[in-house]
Amino acid sequence: MAAVVAVLAVAVAVLTLLVLGLLRSHADILQRLHELDGGAEGGVNTAAGVSPAAARPAGPRTVSRAEVNTFPQVQAPPEREGFTDSRDLVGVGVDDDALTIRVTGVEHRTLVAFLSGSCLTCQRFWDAFQKPQKLGLPRDVRPVIVTKGPEQESPAAIARVAPSAVPVVMDSSAWEAYDVPGSPYFVLVDGRSGQVQGEGTGIDWSQVKGLLTQVQDDASYADDLESRRVSKYRADDERERRVDDELLAAGVTPGDPSLYGEGPDDPRRAAHQHDHEHDQPDERTRP
Amino acid sequence: MRIEAHGIRAELPSGWEGRISRRQAGTLTGARTRNGTTEVVGEDTAPVLHMGNFALPEDRGDFGSGAVDLMGTGHLLVVLVEYGPDSVGTALYPTVSSVPRLTSRMFSSQALQRVQRGQAGAQRFFTMNGRAFCLYAVVGDQREVGAMATTANDVTRQIAITTR
Repeated sequence: MAAVVAVLAVAVAVLTLLVLGLLRSHADILQRLHELDGGAEGGVNTAAGVSPAAARPAGPRTVSRAEVNTFPQVQAPPEREGFTDSRDLVGVGVDDDALTIRVTGVEHRTLVAFLSGSCLTCQRFWDAFQKPQKLGLPRDVRPVIVTKGPEQESPAAIARVAPSAVPVVMDSSAWEAYDVPGSPYFVLVDGRSGQVQGEGTGIDWSQVKGLLTQVQDDASYADDLESRRVSKYRADDERERRVDDELLAAGVTPGDPSLYGEGPDDPRRAAHQHDHEHDQPDERTRP
Repeated sequence: MRIEAHGIRAELPSGWEGRISRRQAGTLTGARTRNGTTEVVGEDTAPVLHMGNFALPEDRGDFGSGAVDLMGTGHLLVVLVEYGPDSVGTALYPTVSSVPRLTSRMFSSQALQRVQRGQAGAQRFFTMNGRAFCLYAVVGDQREVGAMATTANDVTRQIAITTR
């Protein structure tokens, strides 16, 4: 009997050690995953001190350019936060012409496509722009193609690929103004506000169109939030008006001394606080 | 914003865009009859200036066909078309020192190159610095002719033409 008890005790001890080992291993894995994920706000202290994750500042994590992997054909995003300012386009065309395209201060949005006559990926976009009606752009989006100026890009080469129904502006300064990292690159500008709504690139038109759809969805979501915020303001306004009416009915007019306590020890303030404590159940039951 | 090409310079007000281009080769300036036979006067690739306070479409004619279809209330199109040396200094193209002004009385639906319901147009022919031009303006809504004539003059006053 004693032998059986001893064997069982040993078995329980071994199993306990196994479970503890598993728990320890699980904890190590979770901690490694946590560190890879950027760490929690406030950081995690380790036995060796503060972990690298904890050393990062709180808030959204900034992804450096070196951490972004893109297709070989696609430009990496520019290393900056936020969008650039928009500006109108002034340059020359491919038919020995000079032209301006208004991007800001207009009712529509403009999709500025920065393309080159020599990059292979751009050829897909030149082809896509040959039939702008098949691009599937929203009605309020005007496509405009911008290439480098004649000093850097061959007008003859651009003329061979330029679509007939989409304006082409040869303007090197626009590339600098919009901080374009390379071609192909697309910037969507809202003409009313003059703000850049989105920018990015892709290996073909379907990818770029996906970016545009995302911008559209984000804008719709923002509008939805805005409409909800307005309704909340109305509720606040109604509540404020109701309180004013009740105070006026009680003879408390604007500037009444009872509205301004002198401090925490002010007896009127204490009495006012006492009244509110009595009012609270009524507030909760008020429809 | 300024555009300049082919000896024409224009300043564009806020909200306007424009283009100075050459007529496509093959554009015929007209025909004349001599000794009972009709002969082509010649091809002309003289410059054309288009300015509008709306997004100008790519597919448009010298006198704004294609663009006028998109025009509505508040829209104004200003066109400057150069003609050949044969026209310089002729009775139809009097010599002036600056681009002629347009008055609201000059605007009429009859003056449109292509009649569009509700629109009105006006045109002036002139020679300036040895070059013959036609100034043509279209108002998207003829009820706004008064204000638009003033705007058109503000824009054309900024046009500079140099000798060739």
